[in-house]
Order: sequence, then structure tokens, then C-alpha cells
Amino acid sequence: MSADILSFIIFLPAIVAFILMITTKDANTVRNIAFVTTIIIFGLVLKLYLSFDPEAGIQFVTNNVWIEQYGINYYIGVDGFSLTILMLIALLISPAYLLLWEGRTKGYWINMLLVQTGITGALLSLDMVLFYFFWETMLLPIFLIMGMFGTGNKIFSTIKVTVYTIAGSLLMLIAIMYLGTAYYAEFGTWSFAIDSFTQISTLSYDAKLWLFLAFATAFAIKIPLFPFHTWITDTYTNAPTGAVFILSAIMAKLGVYAIVRFLIPIFPEIYSDFSIFFVCIGIFGLIYFGIAALMQNDIKRMFAYASASHLSFITAGVFSLNAYGMSGALYLIIAHAIATGGLFLLIGILHRETGFKTISNLGGIAKQAPIFTVIFAIFLFSNVGLPGTSGFTSELLIIFGLYEFHPVLGYISGLTVLIAASFMLWMFQRAILQDRETDNGKDLPMRDLKIKEILGLIPWVVLIFVMGLYPDYFIDKFEPSVLHYISDILPSGATK
Amino acid sequence: MNTSLLIWIILFPLLGGLLNGGFYLYHIKIQKIPELLFAIIGTVFPLLAFVFTLILFLDMNEHGSVYSQHLFMWLDIDKLTIPMQLLGDNLSIFMSLFVTFVGTLIHLYAVAYMKDDEGFGKFFAYFNLFLASMLLLVLADNPIILFIGWEGVGVCSYLLISFYYKTKENVVAGNKAFLVNRVGDLGFLLGVITLFFALNETGISFSSMQENITLASQPLLILSGVLLFIGAMGKSAQIPLYTWLPDAMLGPTPISALIHAATMVTAGVYMVARFHFLYDAIPGVGLFIAYVGAFSALFAAIIATRQTDIKKILAYSTMSQLGYMFIAVGLGLYSSGLFHVFTHAFFKAMLFMGAGGLILAIHHEQDIFELGKQRKKLPIISVTFLIGVIAISGIPPFAGFFSKDAILTGAFSGGHYLIWLIGLFTAFLTAFYMFRLYFILFVAPNEQSKMETHKTPWSIGIPLFVLAIGAVFAGFINLPEVLGGNHNVDTWLAQLNSTPLDLSHAAEYVLIILSIAVAASGIYVAYKRYANYDLSKRETEEGLIYNKFYVDEVYNTIFVKSAQRLSTFFSDVVDNKIIDASLMGLSKGFVAFGRGLTFLQNANVRYYAFYMLIGMSAISYYVYMKLQGV
Repeated sequence: MSADILSFIIFLPAIVAFILMITTKDANTVRNIAFVTTIIIFGLVLKLYLSFDPEAGIQFVTNNVWIEQYGINYYIGVDGFSLTILMLIALLISPAYLLLWEGRTKGYWINMLLVQTGITGALLSLDMVLFYFFWETMLLPIFLIMGMFGTGNKIFSTIKVTVYTIAGSLLMLIAIMYLGTAYYAEFGTWSFAIDSFTQISTLSYDAKLWLFLAFATAFAIKIPLFPFHTWITDTYTNAPTGAVFILSAIMAKLGVYAIVRFLIPIFPEIYSDFSIFFVCIGIFGLIYFGIAALMQNDIKRMFAYASASHLSFITAGVFSLNAYGMSGALYLIIAHAIATGGLFLLIGILHRETGFKTISNLGGIAKQAPIFTVIFAIFLFSNVGLPGTSGFTSELLIIFGLYEFHPVLGYISGLTVLIAASFMLWMFQRAILQDRETDNGKDLPMRDLKIKEILGLIPWVVLIFVMGLYPDYFIDKFEPSVLHYISDILPSGATK
Repeated sequence: MNTSLLIWIILFPLLGGLLNGGFYLYHIKIQKIPELLFAIIGTVFPLLAFVFTLILFLDMNEHGSVYSQHLFMWLDIDKLTIPMQLLGDNLSIFMSLFVTFVGTLIHLYAVAYMKDDEGFGKFFAYFNLFLASMLLLVLADNPIILFIGWEGVGVCSYLLISFYYKTKENVVAGNKAFLVNRVGDLGFLLGVITLFFALNETGISFSSMQENITLASQPLLILSGVLLFIGAMGKSAQIPLYTWLPDAMLGPTPISALIHAATMVTAGVYMVARFHFLYDAIPGVGLFIAYVGAFSALFAAIIATRQTDIKKILAYSTMSQLGYMFIAVGLGLYSSGLFHVFTHAFFKAMLFMGAGGLILAIHHEQDIFELGKQRKKLPIISVTFLIGVIAISGIPPFAGFFSKDAILTGAFSGGHYLIWLIGLFTAFLTAFYMFRLYFILFVAPNEQSKMETHKTPWSIGIPLFVLAIGAVFAGFINLPEVLGGNHNVDTWLAQLNSTPLDLSHAAEYVLIILSIAVAASGIYVAYKRYANYDLSKRETEEGLIYNKFYVDEVYNTIFVKSAQRLSTFFSDVVDNKIIDASLMGLSKGFVAFGRGLTFLQNANVRYYAFYMLIGMSAISYYVYMKLQGV
């Protein structure tokens, strides 16, 4: 049973999606069943989380033959890193359904289910071909949602993001093939498992570097890192709320996760030799995207930059080569997913009700929708890294980590406490708090949150504070995995 | 047994804040709740915090104990161990004692001040949360937990300044306060991190840092000392991070009294005193702090002489008095600095409350000339205001005299004559601008034939009365030796190892007389110019001083405008015109290239079969070579 629980978690949404596709036409039925499905998955993941032993490495492994002649296996398992993100995904999806509840079509919900299978599969794969399979399939539902339900120049945006990510994926595919053949050349059997790839010893340093870069490019596009980011503004601006939510809260994080899962074990020496380069790119992105966000008028566009800024910071933490930075990065993955995901959903509601998502047209929201505003503010302050919220704990740890990596870089990365605060508060002032400056200050039609939406958001609000006030509980779950990476995989414990 | 009381000092106001917040949402969404409930919750919980602090204080006074309460492990990763732990030593109990005391009084005052405001419940929710954060800041056992309180008070300050959020100016002022403080917070955070690594990651609690301070190299200590002080500059409104404080006066007056006069703004002074072991090791940085304090004191006093908004005058005077406190802690005179924090809390809170009473009585007018013209009979307010003005001007035996004089005497005794001189001159300016304010508000003749009497509500009167007693007598608890003194505060804060005085009694007498003379001459000049001032004539609104040396405008150009320009440049030029355009160019190039190759795709199956043959051969060859290991 315990071994199958992961497969069940992965495939249940897809199976339900296919059944619903055939059996019913009613969008509300589809939505209700889909919602129940996500709740069931949440329960399973919670059970997994509570029974997980942090010290025991990869657990709940299933390893079945998939394509025998090439040694490609259906090989999945979970460790502290992936478990934390798995928990995060389960925790994000059901409440998101509650906020997206009204007025969506059958196709929308079916795609939401499919995307969950893709994401979870990619997260839990320990075989690189299997990973590649999920990595690609998780994008298709997003493209469909964007192309069908997006706004503005949606077709162009969809094509742009598709071409971008596929270009990256192809590089990764080539690298996977190369590693597979290298393994075959050395050991005489085919295997695409990560733990097989880590044994390859015949590659030259240059070859490893090129392979590393091929992977890194694919992940950098997904995250996105500078200069692979120009797809994100159009996409986030034009994509419908659900797609933006999935992209920003979950998929972007998988890019970072993939770095940890694959690049560190397979190319430890490249990872530590070139870490300075990625830390610098990360810190540069933090500042560059943060400044670019300042003057955006479209809130979704502003948050696209904001997201990129935070994800760059996360990437810098991942490459800091020490427990502080890596734990902080993983913690920020969660904190940022909750806060930014929540903000995107709230902006979705704002856009739906008022018809605007441009700051200059908004205003006067707070007096009409106080509960909306309170929750918006909590997410916003978590994003800004206010102590007592989850955002602070993560930023603190990453700054500690980067300081240990190099004091000067640590100082520069500290700017994070200024950057997000400046554009977030300014936006909050103009779009939510102060009376409108256009239309003679006439109020927009805005309702407050419904009970259902509040219920969906409360777990996140609670989590933001619990993670900010008692982080040790969560960090204990993944700290051993982080320490394992640092002391066992990286050369010479890498740091000092 | 008493140790477990410590957390309740914080939990009571926190609970009050949460209850009031919840009730307020209920109030606006579901059913109206009478103001009385909010008022009771909002004042009883701070009072309980005060009572518990008092119990601990008395116990400590009797047994000389120090309380330490470990609540839970906040974060433990690698060598970074941060417990959620509270420390009740002489310093923190001293600080929380007057914070809860003055805090409770101002909460009571706010009941009347905020009466009939639609945001009454919200106000008390924020106010209680502020008090909880402030007490966490004071009682924290390590700088990270302190920082949680530190930013907590910052965000409450933001929320309260932008309390009337519908008006743009208020929110802008709130943003400014938050962001300028964040610049300081950045310094604080980096200072803590630098110190932690400078001490070889040995520990982060104040006590372990104190023990291991010798492990660190001098340059790193200096660096962390300066960075931490940048934090204090932000929170305590010192040059160059002071610009938020005058703007913060847009919030309701009780906020100005509690947050921007008595408690939060003194957090920087408290923090420097907390890190006294660090600053003792780097006297050069201490001297730097003292000079920043001295110049801030002078600069703010100069600006205050020409302002016309009653609350802004008081705001600049707060900044100026904070400058004195930094002179003290910078020169190692920690107990004198904290004594001034203590007395200042009384008379400045009282002045703000009096100003609030005036503003309420005279239809939300804040211009001092207008307030003078439309004067009403306000016996309680006018008397207590006068007491406050005398106290801040440094006339014995009022509280401000003793605490300010202890600082000036200490500076002189340490041989820092320039600082002493600046302090003395600032004292002259202080007496001048405070009495200018008093004369214009209450004395200068106006055209009214008969003054209307305005009744002051009891919940404004009682706090004013209590604070007036403090403003008159608080000085006596720490008399200097030369005046037959008892040194209560100095003894209580002996843990800080403040620099002792090294001065003959004769010299001390001379200094005391000199400072009284300076204050008196300030009052005299103000009397000459303003006691018979014609209120219908406004003072000129031009010149450097009235316009606050144009610092806001300069900051706006250098920081805000250039960040905005950079932002537009990044998104419109770099992203759109350079990166995206070149990628789109690349894809257009591909399309053109593809068009060029269309002749290959001629719908002729034989051609296609040929391409496939080429492809297959290439792949087979590659795989063959690979398997051969070539």
C-alpha cells in the first residue's frame, strides 16, 4: 500500500479527468467532483507528510519497468525536498478551486486536473525520461487554458511561451539522451535513473559543463532567470487566473526543484564551481526584476516581475552551497507560492468584479471589501518579508546563506527587504486603499469575499503565520535532506 | 514562578489586538457592536500588561533576580539556533514598565479622542498590536526575535499613519514611514548577520554575544556596529533617515503620542543600549553615534523654530530630543540616555495629548496661528501643556531638566566639548521654539471678545493629569550626586556599565547654572517675539528653514525619481527593445530561413523518402559509432 500511495496521488486526477470527460457535460458536476478529488489527494499527502521519516532519505519508492529495451523505468519516490513541495501543491490546489469556483467551463476543470497529474509526476520522478515526460505533459493543459480562456493577445502569448519552454526542453532532452548513451557506453546496460547518472565517470569536465548548461537553460526558462524571462510578462498578463496561479505558484518552483533534484547529484563539481555565477545571476535578477516591477501599471504584469524577482532570489539561495541558503530557498518556495498564489487569485477576483486590472483605473477597494483587503494585505506583507510571516524566515535564511557564501553578495542580497516593499506598498496604496483618481472617484462595483472563498484562503493565512512564528517544525522535516546534499554529494562538503 | 509572567506582558495586548480585530470585522460585516466593548478590551489588556510588569519589577527590586523564559525553538539549523526566548533583566523591565504605563494612559486617552470614529474598533486593534510588538522588541532575548518586534511596530506604525486610508496623503506618509524604516531595518539585519559570523557562529543571544565579543576582529565589529546603528537611525528618526517622522503626524494624535513620541521612536536608543557590550568595544563608532545625535538634535531644533503645524513642531522636537539620547548612548552614558527616554515619554506624550485636545476642541485645526486665533478656554489642557513646555525646555525642577542635564554634563565631563556646545545651543533653541508655540497658542492677544469654554472629557483629563505629575516629578528619581542625589535609575541600570562622571562639584554647579541660563534666555527671546504677536500676521513661508532645507525634495529626486526612471528603462528598453526584440528577430530569421528552404518541401514523396534515408543513415551511423566507443 505504502509504495502505491505516490502513484495514486499522481494519477488519480488524470483518471478522474478522463472519466469526467466522457461521462458528463455539466461544468458544475465536473468542478464538484474535481474538487473532491483534490481534497482526497490532500488527505493522502497529509498522511504521507505525517508518517514521513526525515532521516531516512528517499522513501515510498516504486520502480517498475516501463520501456524495457532502453532501461526506462517508472521510478518514483519522495524525500524531504520533494515531500515539502508535494505538501505545498496539495495544500494550494483545493483552496484555489474554491476561489476559481464560479463561471468556468468543463474544459477548464478537466485541464486543472490534468495539470495536477503532470506536476506531481514531474515532482516525484526519479527517472529522467519519466521526468521529461511529465515535464512536457504538465504544460499542455496550461497552454490549452491560456489559449482558450486568456485575455488580450492570448494566442500570441501562448505561442510565445510554448516556443520558449519547448526550446528549453529540447536542450534538456538532448542532454538526457547524451547521459543515457554515456551510461550505456560505460556500463553496457541502459538506464535513465538519476542514481545511475550519478555513477557516470567517463565524461570530461567540458562535456559535463555543456550538459549542465543544457539542463540549466531549460530550468532557467521555467523559473525564469535573466535573460530568459521575457515570456513571463506577456504570459502572466494575458493568461487566465488559474493558469497564472499554477505557473507562478507551482511550475516556476519546479524549475528550482529540478536544479536540486538533478543538477546537484549529477554534476556536483560543476554546481559548486559555477555557483558564484548563478548566485550573481540570481541576485542581479532579484534587483533587476524588482526595479522593473515598480512602474508597471497592469497588476498581473507587476506580479510577473515580482515573481521573477523572488524566484531569482530563491535560485541564489539554492546555489549558496550551505544549509542556511538552501533551506531558506526551499522555505521561500513554499512561502512565495502561498503568498503569490493567493495574491494572483485575489487579483483574479478583483479583475472579474471590477473589470480592471490596471492600477490607474482601480482604487477605493478597501472600504467596499474589507475582508478581501485584510487577506490581500497579509499575503502582501508575507511577500514583503515581514517578520512573523513565512516570507521573513525564508529571506532571513537566504541572506545568512549568501553572507556565508560571500559577505559582499550577502549585503547586496539584503536589498530584498527594500525592493518588494517599495512596489508592493505603492501598488496597494493606489489600487486598493486610496479613493479612485479616475472617473471622479466613482466607486467600482466590487463585492467582498464570499464565505467559500474565505474558507479557502484561511488555511493559507494560518500557514503564513504558523510558518513565520514556528518555522522549526517545518524545517526539521527537510533539514536532513538539505544536509545530505551539502555534506554527502557536494565535493569536500563544498563550503569551507 | 514569576518567570512565566513574562510572556503574558506580551500576550495580553496581543490578545486584545486579536479580539478587537475579530470583533471589528464582525462589527462591519455582520452586526454593530457598541464602542464601549472595543474600549474596554482596548484599555484593560494594556493595563493588565502594566500590572504584570509592575509585579515583576517589584519582585526584581526585592530579590534582584533576572527572568528568562524559553518558549519554544523558533529556528534551529546548522549552527544558527534561535530560540523564542524572553529576557526580563533590569533594562528590559525598566523599559517595559514605562511603555506599558504610558501606553495604558494613551489607550485611555484614545477612547475619548477616537469617539464616534467609524474605525474605532480597528484603531484599538492596531493600537494593542503595536503595544504587543513593542513589548516583544523590549523583552526579546536575541536580536532576531527583537527584529520581529522591531518590524512589528513598524508595520503597526504604517497601518496607523495610513489609518484614514481613503486619502492619498495619509497612505503616502505611511508608505514613506515603512520604506525609510526598511532602509534602517536592512542595516539592522545585516549588522546582526555580520556580528553573528564575526563571532564564528557561536550564538545569537545577547548574553552569548556579550561573552564572545572578544572573538571578533575590530573591523568586523566596527562594521556591525555601524550597520546596527543605521537601524536605529531609521526607527529613531536621526539624520539622514528622519524624513518620515514629520509626515507620520498625519495619523490620529494618540498615535503620535504613543508611537511617534513615547515608545517606538526610542527603540533605536534601547537597541544601542542593548548592544552596549558591542559599542563599548568600538568607542569610535560610539563617538560617531554621538555626533549624529548632536547634529540631528540641532538640525531638528532649527527646523522646529519656523514650522506652523502644531504636530510637526512636536515631531521635530521629538527628533531633537532623540538626538540627545543618542549623544548619551554614543558616549557610553547609557543610563542617562535611558533616563531621558523615560522622562521624555512623560512630557512628550503629554504635549501630544494636549495638542490633540486642542485640535479636537478647535475643529481639527492644526495651524498654530489659527489655533491661537480661535482660542477657547481649556483649563486642563493649557496648564498641562505649559508644564510640558517647561519640562522640555529644561527648567528645574521639572523632569526634562535633570535628564537633559545629565547628558550635557556627561558629554562635558568626557571632554566632548563640541558635542556639549551643540547640545547647549540646541537647549536654547528648544526653549525658544517650545515657548514660541506656547505663546502663540495660549498667550498672544487675539480679537475674540469672549472665550468659549470647552469641556475636556475625563478620559483625556486623567491621563493628562497623571502624565503632568510625571513631567514635574519624574526627574527626582535619578538626582545627580551634586544635588544630593539618589541615582536610582543609574543604579537600576548598573548592568550597562555607563561611563561615570569625572567632574568636580564646582564645575557641575557651573554647568547647571549655565544650562538654566541658556534655557531662560531662550524663553526670554520667545517671550519678546511672540507673547504679544499679532496673530493675523502669518510668518513668512519662504526660506531654507521653513522648507526644511528641501531635504524631502532632494531625496525625492535622487531616490524616488531615479528608481522610477530606471524601472521604465528596464521594462521598456532592456526587456522589450533589446532582449525580446532580439529573440523575436531570431524567430523572424527562422521564418525567413524556412521560406528559403520551401523548395525542399515540394509535396513529392520520393524527395521525402530520400530525406528520411539521409536521416536514418545519420542516426544509425551515430549510434554505431557511439556503441563502438569511438
